[in-house]
Amino acid sequence: MRKYISLFLWSLLFPFSMDGQNWNLINSEQTSYEREEKSFYAETKQVNQFIRRFNAEENVLGIRLSSNDSLYHSSQLRKNYINMLFDNQNTSISDMLKSAFINDVTQDANPKFLDFHGGEWFGETFVKFDRGSQEVFITLFMELVKENLGSKWVVGDIYYNPYEDLYGRDAGSGSRFLHPLSHELDFMNLDRVFKSGNHTGDYFYQGFHPDKLSIFMYELRNNTLQFNYVSGVKFHFFQIDGWYFEITEFNRPGLNRGWLISNLIKLEDGQKQKLINFIYHRD
Amino acid sequence: MKNQSIIYLFLLLFSMSISGLAQDNISPQRKMAIDSLALEKVRDLSKYISIIGSKETAWSEANRVIERTLELFSEGAQMGVSTINQPKVKYYDIRTYLERLMALNYDKVKIEWFNIEYMSDLERMPDGRYVGVITIYQRFEGSSGDKMKYMDTTKKDITVYVERKQTQIGGRLIGFWDVLLGDVRVIETKP
Repeated sequence: MRKYISLFLWSLLFPFSMDGQNWNLINSEQTSYEREEKSFYAETKQVNQFIRRFNAEENVLGIRLSSNDSLYHSSQLRKNYINMLFDNQNTSISDMLKSAFINDVTQDANPKFLDFHGGEWFGETFVKFDRGSQEVFITLFMELVKENLGSKWVVGDIYYNPYEDLYGRDAGSGSRFLHPLSHELDFMNLDRVFKSGNHTGDYFYQGFHPDKLSIFMYELRNNTLQFNYVSGVKFHFFQIDGWYFEITEFNRPGLNRGWLISNLIKLEDGQKQKLINFIYHRD
Repeated sequence: MKNQSIIYLFLLLFSMSISGLAQDNISPQRKMAIDSLALEKVRDLSKYISIIGSKETAWSEANRVIERTLELFSEGAQMGVSTINQPKVKYYDIRTYLERLMALNYDKVKIEWFNIEYMSDLERMPDGRYVGVITIYQRFEGSSGDKMKYMDTTKKDITVYVERKQTQIGGRLIGFWDVLLGDVRVIETKP
């Protein structure tokens, strides 16, 4: 059975190298179990497998290739793998852009690989919380950091719309202040500060920005927010010079499934930081 | 089952003690040996789930196998279960998950495992232990009378913790790698 699966998967990678006899053999002997098994083999089952396939560090059965193996980091194998790592139902990524990306990362003179510990990639998780009787979704940005002997994921930042509108300067900000002799009246004008709603921050130190993580932690600690479940995850990669891509997990029938590239952008000079800020919802 | 555990321990001691105790990083060859041990644990889990779920297993035997299954897991491990039609993820502790499996209201239950085991790289955690994830696929069929009542295929992503430990044998300290299972993500999937 494994032999047929392997032949089938190689046929996907190298469609012209497979003779018709084997192809017929595979199709005629297919049972529903075998069809399912093929799609599971084809599925990019883990982010780890996405990276290994991208780099051509495993064979079609998912077995790690030794660094001495002729296929290890082979540019031809990478071309075939990476082509399969795109969400083929996504028409917003043009074939031309896809080819330019694949050619760039697989060029013999300067191949570009993904590195789990190479930084410049992060996760975006959508988490459902209960907030009293309300159900709310909060985006947590997850970052992989080194610590002591190993590494761990941390919550680097969050996005939750009500936290975004806590404070913003406006045209009237310059006229909102506690005058310099407020101390002579025991700061009785603080009354004005605490009635100023969205403008309270105007009375704080210059350059003040609300710390969203602190507010989030406070709301968790006083049980205003209660974790429900993680409803979705995607990852943003900026590791490949001049490119950005996003990967998402697709749970659907067929062979093009699992962790796949769901967005690809060729970055011009200066665009990288702007895009990172955009993803993090930073102004 | 106890015999199996003794064999694992023996194999671990035999294969791991050669390199001495000072080793912190795992060589590729050693990683392969640890992968095999982790896969053995997952195969045990698969086997136990099939036994617990089977209606032919006596209640007392199923309970005994549940206890054995729990020994495979680290403390506090959970199953996070989601279906295709509902985005909600339900979290169960392992015992509750297994007891629910045992109590399923079908006359006949058939649990099959696909011949696929995908093992991630082992990554080191801040505390020095290693962690990996093994992905497997399961097909479940439950029927009552002649009618098929329910069928699903699930993908299971199983956390594997690998820890270097020491034991004393004949007055000598021997290092070995211990493997425990952790949280499991269970997703219904459509092939």
